[in-house]
Amino acid sequence: MISETVKRGPFSHINWKLWRSVILALLILAAILFFNARNPAETRAVLRSTLRYAVPLILGALCGIFCERAGIVNIGIEGQMLLSAFTSYMTNAWTGNLMFSLFVGMVTGSIVGLFLAFLSIKLKLNQVIGGTVINILAAGITGYFYQVGTTTKGKFASIPLGPLADIPIIGPLLFNNPPITYIAIVLVIVSQIVLFNTRWGLRTRAVGEHPRAADTLGVDVFKIRYLNVLIGGVMAGLAGAFLTLEGVGLFERGMTNGRGFIALAVMIFGKWNPISSAMAALFFGFANAMQTQLQFMGIQIAHQFVGMIPYLLTIIVVSGFVGRSRAPAAEGIPYEKE
Amino acid sequence: MKKRLFSILAILLVAGLVLGACTPKGTDVKPPADDPAKTFKVGLVTDVGEVDDKSFNQASWEGVLAAQKDLSFESKYIETKDAKDYDANIQLFIDEGFDVIVTVGFALGEATHKAAKANPEVAFIGVDQFQGEVVPGVAGLIFDEALSGLLAGVLAAEITQSNVIAAVLGTDLVPPVVNFNRGYVGGSKWVNPEINVISTYHPGGMDVAFTDPEWGASTAKQAIEQGADVIFAAGGKTGNGALIETAEHAGLFCIGVDTDQWLTVPEAHKCLISSATKDISDSVVALINLAVEGKFPSGNYLGGSSLAPFHDFESVVTDEIRTKLEEAKAAYEANQIELPEK
Amino acid sequence: MESVTPSQNNWLQKVWFSVRIPFLAIILALIVGAVVLLVSGSNPLEAYAQLFKGAFGSLKNFQRVLEKSTPLIFSGLAVALGFKAGLFNIGAQGQLLLGAIIAGFVGFSIKGLPSYVHIPLALLCGIVAGALYGAIPGLLKAFSGAHEVITTIMLNYIAINLTDYLSDGPWKDMSPGNIVSRLPAIEESAKIGTIGPVPIGFIVAVLIAFLIWFVINRTTFGFEINSVGLNPHASKYAGMRTKVLIIAALIVSGALAGLGGAVETQGVVGRYQPGFNAGIGFDGITVALLARNSPIAVIASSLLLGAMKGGANTMQFYANVPNEIIDIIQGTMLLFVTAEMVVRWVFKMRKRSETEITVTAGWGQR
Repeated sequence: MISETVKRGPFSHINWKLWRSVILALLILAAILFFNARNPAETRAVLRSTLRYAVPLILGALCGIFCERAGIVNIGIEGQMLLSAFTSYMTNAWTGNLMFSLFVGMVTGSIVGLFLAFLSIKLKLNQVIGGTVINILAAGITGYFYQVGTTTKGKFASIPLGPLADIPIIGPLLFNNPPITYIAIVLVIVSQIVLFNTRWGLRTRAVGEHPRAADTLGVDVFKIRYLNVLIGGVMAGLAGAFLTLEGVGLFERGMTNGRGFIALAVMIFGKWNPISSAMAALFFGFANAMQTQLQFMGIQIAHQFVGMIPYLLTIIVVSGFVGRSRAPAAEGIPYEKE
Repeated sequence: MKKRLFSILAILLVAGLVLGACTPKGTDVKPPADDPAKTFKVGLVTDVGEVDDKSFNQASWEGVLAAQKDLSFESKYIETKDAKDYDANIQLFIDEGFDVIVTVGFALGEATHKAAKANPEVAFIGVDQFQGEVVPGVAGLIFDEALSGLLAGVLAAEITQSNVIAAVLGTDLVPPVVNFNRGYVGGSKWVNPEINVISTYHPGGMDVAFTDPEWGASTAKQAIEQGADVIFAAGGKTGNGALIETAEHAGLFCIGVDTDQWLTVPEAHKCLISSATKDISDSVVALINLAVEGKFPSGNYLGGSSLAPFHDFESVVTDEIRTKLEEAKAAYEANQIELPEK
Repeated sequence: MESVTPSQNNWLQKVWFSVRIPFLAIILALIVGAVVLLVSGSNPLEAYAQLFKGAFGSLKNFQRVLEKSTPLIFSGLAVALGFKAGLFNIGAQGQLLLGAIIAGFVGFSIKGLPSYVHIPLALLCGIVAGALYGAIPGLLKAFSGAHEVITTIMLNYIAINLTDYLSDGPWKDMSPGNIVSRLPAIEESAKIGTIGPVPIGFIVAVLIAFLIWFVINRTTFGFEINSVGLNPHASKYAGMRTKVLIIAALIVSGALAGLGGAVETQGVVGRYQPGFNAGIGFDGITVALLARNSPIAVIASSLLLGAMKGGANTMQFYANVPNEIIDIIQGTMLLFVTAEMVVRWVFKMRKRSETEITVTAGWGQR
């Protein structure tokens, strides 16, 4: 803030941020190639496990991003995922129709999303409390109505994408996956474009940052908020459906096991940005896969400490010790029309 | 106001109807037998969780039901929701004059011992409750998990093609799970010292380690992709996830745990060659019978540990393998097989 | 109602005004629960009758209700105090776990103390543990702006990992009969008893609730906390040390939760064991919201929840109703009481201008 002429050093024209990313990417690539040369099967297993663990986190984080970019805090993602996992599983158990079950899961997520939107937009209920209510209700409803003894009628299988699947390393990793994984990857890119390169995205962010100004310019704040929470709900529904239709194909009480909360952490890590959040989710997934791999290799460490890492990292990041991240300014504040 | 109240109620009713389309289970009660004399009553208190957990709660309850087929008695269970309710839940049965009370899980040990001291006329069956010194009135039903784990390990080492076998386990905070794995590793190394056993415990706490099927599935996948062709899954629903995942891959084998999982996880039929069982049901039946005859034993009661039937895989398990299993059991009982620490 | 004097009438009206929303929310939630029960083929009247009997049917049952209410009062106070300062302390669960395990450690590791030293010492250590754990989100919030909701959620997970590690590692109960991860039983001298059917812990909880009420309503500190909660910006201009207040509020909040854990260990469980304190901190949120953050009402709402928890097993036993119905009723209750607009809409009530809780929004730094 000191008003003196900025000294231009010889390297000041270099975009350090970009270079940092490039160097990091090259390092990761080198590491993958190194381990791949040593043991291709293990490397592939760890990478695929990483992606698999990351998919529900990515989808959950996308839900958070859409809600929060429009100014609605959503800590009910865990509940949304659990309910969607439940309904899509039950539909699958009854009908055996995977696509229909997936649809039911998405609808469930969006209905819960609409409910949160109704509470926070129409009733102006505190949004954090609204999310808490959703989490408690989801645990109660699924616990009460879950019928044990229902068995799944199959789950989504992998679909190799023709010759792409034969590319070494990335072929089996990226181009030989079940459908929801593809959807998640596509959604990350689409969301990034929608949020930052379209009118809709601009309006959404405006509503999240400065609703009053957006309103003055003729943007319908309420509509934008409702629709974004609805879109987010679909994403959370996909995340839940992933667990029961594509992941394990089995429902269990409380089976989300905090993935919805980790998705929140992922969102903050990724600074409310779809691609960065996906990277963060992959990082968490990698930590998880490595934890397993280390045990496979016979290296025993107190797993409680490894288990803490994602949570510690989140606290560090949210506290701004490393790469401070900032939330949309109008987040959590009900908008009142004047 | 009335109109709105009414419309709300109508909405709730519709929502309730939709949700209620699936009727949840109620706790099962048999009507008392028409025996004019006082009916014999057997009750069961689960550990935190549900009676249909496809694991030890369910196996114990099935034992009660199986005993009921031969003997006529009244039975009832209660599911524990909060660990602090152990005493109160046991007390409900005592107040209703139950003769035998089955308490499931080591965690209920203290509550069971306390109740037994206060109610010497009631017979308590404590599943998985090891006793340091004999508690009168309590049969502590224990199992040698390492033995059935060992047999699973021998079987796995015999049928593997890749010489890589895996174990996907619940938490190492629970000793039976650790013992299963010790047996598994020890047994497979006894057959083939060169075999590569990759095993992993769930990293979460007690609250999630047994109820995370997706973790079990993705971990099994990770093991399969590095060549494992036999997966031993020991960890409640987390393990069930691993079984189901393995069934998705042709030509692989999986081994279940605790009960014959052929019956509890039909999704895994394609790979489930056997299960490393603790004969909880049979032992509960035996103990209930003893109680009825008035010969109820106190102290530790060792239940059987074995391999479940091979079902569809009878032909895969050759006579040589069966002989090897017999040999392994004999060698183990003669203390000739060394087991790893963890 | 004709005969009451105007002043009495006012007083009654005042009471009715302050309790009507929670009261109606409870009624609505019970109706929802009844519908769910009815549809799934159970008799709601019988279920509720058994629930009531299980809670108040005997002196022993009533003692259990008090035992169940005790930690709820503490965690409810912890959350309510946070709300008063505009902070949402979801971390009560983690703070409570640490209080419980530290009290358990002090309870078993120090031997030969008289109870009048041992009991308060263990309680104090529990309080300090909770307070320190509460101080972390406080400091982070005050100095880096990290939102307490996200930090306390993460700290809850860390607390679970930490306590699991301690109870399976260095502090594990190594007595020959034991095979699971837990701490050794605490010494007799650290145990908190009962007076008749009333647990002493419950009496302490009630006294603390009154103390907190006094602090909030009758002291400068309480006034400042309130003002920070209602309007952080204005209070800053009024010369209050917002940062200090945020940290102080979360420290006190953590101390309350920690005390709750300690009382639970010393008064009910008798040792620290993973899984025995599950969910209490989260129930504190329900308690605080039902009580609309009034420390005195926290006692009432804790008793309500305690009665539902205490009666649940009797209901399951005699009416054959799954336990989870309690979760549904509790969730619905919370929904109606927080979304009081819903209740108002149903009963066509007019909004009364009153101070509403303002929880700071967003995760952001400001």
